[in-house]
Amino acid sequence: MRTRKIKLMNLTSLARVSSLSTAFASRTLHRSITCRPISCSSVSHAPTSLKPKPPLFLRPLTFTATLSDLQKWQNWAKTLASSVGSSFTDLDNGPDSENLHRELNWLIEDALENPKSLLTLDDSKRDTVLQLRADLDELYSLWKQRIEKRKPFQYIVGCEHWRDLVLSVEEGVLIPRPETELIIDLVDDAIKQNQELKEGLWADLGTGSGAIAIGIGRILGDFGRVIATDLSPIAVQVASFNVNRYNLQDKISVKQGSWFDPLMEFEGRVAGIVSNPPYIPSGHIRGLQAEVGRHEPILALDGGEDGMSDLLHLCNGAALMLKPGGFFAFETNGEDQCLFLVDHMKTVHHNSFYNLKIIPDFAGIKRFVTGIRS
Amino acid sequence: MSSNILRRVYKRSSSILSRYQSISTLFVSPSDPQSIDFSTSIDTPRNYSPVFEFPSKDASGVSLLSNKRLNFSFGSSLNNTRLLFSTQAAVQPSTSDGLTVDAIVANQWAILDESENDWKSHASAIAQSIRLIKKRLQWEKLKVRLEILSFQLEKPDLWDDPVHAGKISREHGSLMGKMKEVNGLEQELLEHIDMIKLAREENDPDLESESVKALLKMRQNVKEKELEALLAGEHDSCSCYIEVQAGAGGTESMDWAGMVMQMYKLWAERRGYGVTIVDEMRGEIAGIKRATIKVDGEYAYGYAKAEVGAHRLVRISPFDAAKRRHTSFAAVAVTPILGDGSHHVNINESDLRIERYRSGGAGGQHANVTDSAVRITHIPTGITASCQNERSQHQNKASAMAVLQSRLDQREMARQAQMNSQYTQSLTDNSWGNQIRSYVLHPYRMVKDLRTNFEVSDPDSVLEGEIDDFILSFLTDSMDKENEV
Ligand SMILES: C[S@@+](CC[C@H](N)C(=O)[O-])C[C@H]1O[C@@H](n2cnc3c(N)ncnc32)[C@H](O)[C@@H]1O
Repeated sequence: MRTRKIKLMNLTSLARVSSLSTAFASRTLHRSITCRPISCSSVSHAPTSLKPKPPLFLRPLTFTATLSDLQKWQNWAKTLASSVGSSFTDLDNGPDSENLHRELNWLIEDALENPKSLLTLDDSKRDTVLQLRADLDELYSLWKQRIEKRKPFQYIVGCEHWRDLVLSVEEGVLIPRPETELIIDLVDDAIKQNQELKEGLWADLGTGSGAIAIGIGRILGDFGRVIATDLSPIAVQVASFNVNRYNLQDKISVKQGSWFDPLMEFEGRVAGIVSNPPYIPSGHIRGLQAEVGRHEPILALDGGEDGMSDLLHLCNGAALMLKPGGFFAFETNGEDQCLFLVDHMKTVHHNSFYNLKIIPDFAGIKRFVTGIRS
Repeated sequence: MSSNILRRVYKRSSSILSRYQSISTLFVSPSDPQSIDFSTSIDTPRNYSPVFEFPSKDASGVSLLSNKRLNFSFGSSLNNTRLLFSTQAAVQPSTSDGLTVDAIVANQWAILDESENDWKSHASAIAQSIRLIKKRLQWEKLKVRLEILSFQLEKPDLWDDPVHAGKISREHGSLMGKMKEVNGLEQELLEHIDMIKLAREENDPDLESESVKALLKMRQNVKEKELEALLAGEHDSCSCYIEVQAGAGGTESMDWAGMVMQMYKLWAERRGYGVTIVDEMRGEIAGIKRATIKVDGEYAYGYAKAEVGAHRLVRISPFDAAKRRHTSFAAVAVTPILGDGSHHVNINESDLRIERYRSGGAGGQHANVTDSAVRITHIPTGITASCQNERSQHQNKASAMAVLQSRLDQREMARQAQMNSQYTQSLTDNSWGNQIRSYVLHPYRMVKDLRTNFEVSDPDSVLEGEIDDFILSFLTDSMDKENEV
């Protein structure tokens, strides 16, 4: 397994840390920051190219195909999707035929100039030539990879619709999850409670595609800024691409580096910290849904033995970096991690935080921990 | 119109104008000294000096006369108002020799084919149409409502509640528009008749034939307005959601629900409306358990509301190996999408339960999904809405919220309507119960509307979306019936 070998903290060591002071925790923080890159470099994927590939829907209409050829492809793709039935679902909670059929429609939506033409076809128009953003061979190959290789649909079309954004994604960058959308609502609530936060400095740690940073960048005030960090060079490239596409380069700066490293100069002055760090326990990586386990970067998923290494590191950092009244929101693997984090904050960082809350996602899973720096 | 005609119109404009003084008084604000003494204008109508020029026409044929004072008022005391209405009743617009639209209707001139170049026939047809339009618009009620609205608009504290004020002024504007349009039609008819008489007096056959032609054009135009008047309901011009739900009976009835939904999709596309699937739960073998589409476009709600109810299918089921005849039902509900600011219900965030459905497992980083279906339950009413066809959870939630809003608005409107028994049940009540139409494919072939008895013998064309005749016959029927009482 290519998981991290060096674990800076595990639950037992943390239990011990619990009795220590915040000051000590901050020393731990600095220490871990220096160690972390080493441990990570052993797992990061070799970047194939640093120039992000534009998503399908943004590519020019350079290809053509006749309606009847496209129809042939569509029928082939439908048949392939139908053949899946519920087998992926039964195997590893993967997509079923109905999901795949819907994805196929979206692929068509992204690849064609006028997707409706394919739906309202009549035989007399069989020879009509349609404009495409990928040639027919590529469409065959893409759909084959979707079904046979279980390549995530978002990597097939090169984008993920997230909140009201369309974010470019590619292999090497985690596909933002629907659950994570809620972090933006949590931040929105927080800045409504405390208008000062709206004009402050925010940090999105482990920004991946830049999803959270962009979501926040769009609700901050004129003076509000976001620093988005990631250790992965591909993530940094993709996040920058997305930030530019939403014309937020003056508001959001994307920096490569481990967790708090790129923002140490702002110690004690940060208005808000949000993160969706890797939180899957190492032992679960092997059994993940094929789309995730085989295709998404392990650096974005593996949270150490109990999945808590990065989360705890972030908690400790939040105590150090946030200004009084500053807000944090972290995504977790579920109830156990939430409870542990809250307990950790209450004991290790005694009196450092108030208003600690555990918030469920729409599936009812306790997903987020939020709080305010005293 | 040729310049020749125009010149003549101008020549006679002062006398034409004076006939409309009753309308013009409508446009005098109470601050205007002339409006204080209504008796002056009643007693000496021809001396009344109006504040605007003679009538000319804008592109839509509506006299600019009525546009002059958008902000008309009925005066501040009830007394004045009553006086005003009696004024209006007393002095109807008429031709130079006193012919009114009502009189034309009463004359019962034979209505001949359009191709017959007979002005009396045209005039009679137009007058009938105008009367029908007024009936459909519930003319007397409309006037009273307009009076109430104008009264409210005058209140100095109106804009303390901008949402309410917005509603009032929108409704006022829309009723005003209707009133002006009909007044304009009456006026136009009488002008044409005047012109024909003038042409005869002056022995000008060119002018006469031109005026008869103008009448013919108006006759055709007014026929369309008759249809439009069917859709005069407050929300008729809105876009809407159409929801179809399969009745009991398994695959056969799910297949039927799918066919009904397809019928509406094709109908909507035919009419040039935008169609989006919001929510769809497919049957395991065929069709749908239920589905909701959004139909975007003007008057989508006005038309589609005629489809509310249970639709019955009789056929030999393709899903029955024994080839027996089956009867199945699909229920149709239609709700209007009201514009921002005209909602009837304010949704309280804390009354909502929002759930991700069809998700299992640990979620988060564990799962790659493209399905982010969301269901929202409005806890106090138990009304739910779901959406799974958007590409992000956020958008699914927004769509589901819009559906929920529409359903709650609809429910509230039905409640209010019941309270004022203002509308007939069938138009606002989305109850699944009442069967409205029967589609028989075997042993004979026919589609019959049980409300109007309108029927066609070609079910295929109906299922391909040709349902306009059913809709119009129902709207005409219910509208004309309702207005009789
Ligand atoms: C679960 S992903 C979240 C990505 C993104 N925020 C989102 O929600 O879609 C975790 C991210 O943390 C990054 N990461 C892992 N270790 C890191 C470290 N030591 N410092 C900074 N980022 C790290 C990964 O590259 C990955 O992009």
